[in-house]
Amino acid sequence: MEQELKAHLKKLMASGDVAGIIALKSERGMAKPYLFADASELECLCLTPKYPMASVARLLLDEDGAARFAIVCRGCDERALRELAKRHQVDLDRLVIVGIPCDEEMARECACPEPFPSVVAVGTKLEQWEAEDIGAAYRAMELDEKLAFWKHQLEKCNKCYGCRNACPMCFCKDCELENALWVKHGRLPPEFPIYHMIRAFHLAGKCIACGECQRACPSDIPLMVLNTLLREDMEELFGYVSGTGADAENPLYTKEEMQ
Amino acid sequence: MKYDNILTTCPFCGCGCKYYIQVVDGVAKSVLPCKEDPISEGHLCIKGWNAIDFVYSKERLTTPLIKENGAFREATWDEAYGLIASKFKEIKARDGAKAFGFFSSAKTTNEENYLMQKLARGVIVTNNVDHCARLCHASTVAGLAASFGSGAMTNSIPEVEDVDCFLITGSNTTEQHPLIGSRIYKAKEKGAKVILVDPRSIQLASIADIHLRQKPGTDVAWLNGLMHVIIKEGIADEEFIEQRTENYGEFKAEVMKYTPERVEEITGIPKADLIAAARMFANAEAASIIYSMGITQHTTGVDNVKSCANLAMLTGNLGKPSTGVNPLRGQNNVQGACDLGALPNVFPGYQAVTVPENREKFEKAWNMAEHIPESIGLTVVEMLNAAHDGALKCLYIMGENPMISDPDITHVREALDALEFLVVQDLFITETAEHADVILPGTSFLEKDGTFTGTDRRVQRIRKAIEPLGNARPDWEILCDVAKHLGSDQFVYASPKEIQDEVASLTPLYGGVTYERLDKEGYLQWPCPNAEHPGTVFLHNGKFSRGLGHFFPVSYKPPAEEPDKDYPFILTTGRILFHFHTGTMTRCSPKLNKEVPTGYVEIHPSDAEAMGIADGDLVQVSTRRGTIQIPAYVTRKVPEKTVFIPFHFKECAANMLTNPALDPIAKIPEFKVCACKVEALGESS
Amino acid sequence: MAETWNPKIVGFLCNWCCYAGADMAGTSRMKYPPNIRIIRVMCSSRINAEMVIKAFQMGADAVFIGGCHPGDCHYVDGNYRTQKRIAVLRRLLEHLGIDPRRLRLEWVSAAEGEKFAQTMDEFAKEVAELGPSPLAALQREVL
Repeated sequence: MEQELKAHLKKLMASGDVAGIIALKSERGMAKPYLFADASELECLCLTPKYPMASVARLLLDEDGAARFAIVCRGCDERALRELAKRHQVDLDRLVIVGIPCDEEMARECACPEPFPSVVAVGTKLEQWEAEDIGAAYRAMELDEKLAFWKHQLEKCNKCYGCRNACPMCFCKDCELENALWVKHGRLPPEFPIYHMIRAFHLAGKCIACGECQRACPSDIPLMVLNTLLREDMEELFGYVSGTGADAENPLYTKEEMQ
Repeated sequence: MKYDNILTTCPFCGCGCKYYIQVVDGVAKSVLPCKEDPISEGHLCIKGWNAIDFVYSKERLTTPLIKENGAFREATWDEAYGLIASKFKEIKARDGAKAFGFFSSAKTTNEENYLMQKLARGVIVTNNVDHCARLCHASTVAGLAASFGSGAMTNSIPEVEDVDCFLITGSNTTEQHPLIGSRIYKAKEKGAKVILVDPRSIQLASIADIHLRQKPGTDVAWLNGLMHVIIKEGIADEEFIEQRTENYGEFKAEVMKYTPERVEEITGIPKADLIAAARMFANAEAASIIYSMGITQHTTGVDNVKSCANLAMLTGNLGKPSTGVNPLRGQNNVQGACDLGALPNVFPGYQAVTVPENREKFEKAWNMAEHIPESIGLTVVEMLNAAHDGALKCLYIMGENPMISDPDITHVREALDALEFLVVQDLFITETAEHADVILPGTSFLEKDGTFTGTDRRVQRIRKAIEPLGNARPDWEILCDVAKHLGSDQFVYASPKEIQDEVASLTPLYGGVTYERLDKEGYLQWPCPNAEHPGTVFLHNGKFSRGLGHFFPVSYKPPAEEPDKDYPFILTTGRILFHFHTGTMTRCSPKLNKEVPTGYVEIHPSDAEAMGIADGDLVQVSTRRGTIQIPAYVTRKVPEKTVFIPFHFKECAANMLTNPALDPIAKIPEFKVCACKVEALGESS
Repeated sequence: MAETWNPKIVGFLCNWCCYAGADMAGTSRMKYPPNIRIIRVMCSSRINAEMVIKAFQMGADAVFIGGCHPGDCHYVDGNYRTQKRIAVLRRLLEHLGIDPRRLRLEWVSAAEGEKFAQTMDEFAKEVAELGPSPLAALQREVL
């Protein structure tokens, strides 16, 4: 897939349609997000591990108000870009999405709801993919078990804000997690459970299930469980699945009565 | 537009997390975790995430400053160097090399530490060079070197995940070394037992199987008590003791005096808990001792460290993965600063200055006409004392801030003011720099190349991501320039890589460390004596660095100052998650500063109630050395009659209060215990 | 503790409808349990998730939100937003192990003093049956 992708990108670059390509570059054996501006550099292109590429796109589109970039996107990256576009955080007209699918191992690691973008430019998408139901064990718990579970998990929190920092959908300049009205400053662990509840609630209708928050957590808190349960709730209550449909608005922002 | 990610190493604690700096058109934008780094694994703490804030602070020094008529004026580099050269020459001609002192820095690179001690020893020709390791792990360097032959963390950070039983003492790991703390959680999830010995109820207390809350300053007693129980119950590792150690008999005679009853009397630790902890530790497959400044910053610091070493030997927990004695070093490069000889008694690689062959080797390598003194130099605290007494005239301080970090700040101020000439090289006009005659603007970790050595002896690269701000210069260049202005021709390097090549040629510990290998392999853990050596994951495998491990009999001595009628509380000090050291860098970060904008004193609810103190009230804390006013944080984290103050904050500086009493061997001050009184002021802060 | 416990309910009432309804219940001398602590807000949609969670965090056993009937919002669509927000928040409370019945949203008009009193009566009973909030107990542990 890598060779095929390089060839595809070289063509794209030669077309002059884009100022650069946002993708991963391998340097000293490690991958990093990079803006490829020259075809010769594409030899160093690599595909893994996953990095939050939508956040990189948002940064670069902000830094350069006019340029058009190509971006190598996985399913989650595309979902993030769509949700960001709905909130006017990225201009999709200035991005050429080059879709690549995830292999089964990666898809399973993320319990990804859809491990491929809408259009796959290179590679073959997984047939018959069904994500693991990571919420199942928690839905089955009694209320007091749930509370004890989260109390234990969230007591490990190091208040690094990594879950927020790594999230492609957390773009607010002023974050309520840092507002002392709600969460006392300087306490470790942060107050249970308000800190993590605010984070989870603010992602309702936003979370595109990329799993970056959980991967960024030094304490291995299963944040994706909360996010996944809320994703299900949004679908059940409003029929809304974030990351899909460019026109659908987050129901929490709309004016219509709930059905 | 140019967008790139530069891989570098964090400038805060000793974990040594590598991460990317996102750079757009030469401007650093933010930190991006590196998912393939073996230490951080794509995780960071709040300081790491916000590590670039201070770099662009408007308070940054960007030009040299010279003090004239009591005020600083901007100067050119040539003026600054010229002044330094003429004053240095004048003082050396008049008072000799012994009138000079050099404070190197655990914040700067290995290369810079090497150059600083080379400047002191090779150009001025004095061993008066030291750095803030004196204030944190001098006891470790001395204690573990005596017991094992090597004064460093025996095992490695990734191994922490597979420990079966932890003894964590004097380390608030989740705050001070978050990426080691997170591995303790991982091990716990895998079934590890956690014994926490700490007077305070720190975050790790919530997962501790046993939490022993000792009276501060009684560590030798409870450590001896644990070993007493282990020996008495016959659960010591006889085979290990027999084959790998010496002096067991004498040691055993001493610890047998520490019955659990006696230990309870001294430490306040209930007898039954002590016995349970001893069994838990001795019966574990792989047991690991993790400690930090709660062990070292005492007048009995070396004794405490030796006791930890004794416990590990007694239970055979050395020379194996996920075991060992693991001092967590507090600063990004405090391990490296020690390794590179920024200490008054050793050349790089712990080659003693008292050994004639070592002196000859360095004199020859540095092409010296003069001879390096055979006696060891002065330590940080001793240099300040010598300045206070007028014997030391000239001090060159690079990246240190003794006006906040050293005990008894009033004394420090008097010492600095007594100096004839003070050069400070820093990023900011620190409280120390205010007393300087010349300030040289150095650069942050983003603006230069070099290497840091993390707490697990892990040498890693930092890489220049942006150009130096204004007229600031990389610290290694400044040191070379100063040496050149003093007439030396031994400081010609095109880049830090060439400095490391010189280090490797003179330092067996780092003999195989090259920039090429670091680029290819990511890191190298010393000892790494040659190009073929893969580095060392854990020490003392099969054999101790000194041959046999040495059991030191250690007897309990009370702290230098204990509570009395006038000063009824115990004051203990330390760091917090959100700030670093003297706050010079972290207090410039809006995010970090917002979390904790100023200092506080933790006080137990029952003590607070007795004095009519409410949470947030301004209170007065005094010791025999000074008085500060500080907001109260009423919390059960501290036991009754003990208060805790983080030392980062100049406006309520804990070190106005601390006791400069020193450990007789390591010369480390007793930051962790002194007697104080707390008074309500009847005001809310 | 247990015998003296009385449910603490924090009530956020919209100025135009529910607060006026509560006012009417009061002036009409209707009896309802004194467990509720009322906070008047201009619109029920002023109440964000943080405020509700904070109330629980500070020891509330339950939170009541009173807004205008659908179509009656003084600001046209505020109550629709509230309705959706609270529906999601109830789910989130449940995921964390907090009984969602502790968070209740009702439409009460300015004329419905009786409905307000009745609702309070019902809700206070329900919360009493649920017992003290587990979060309130946890809060007392932390200091």
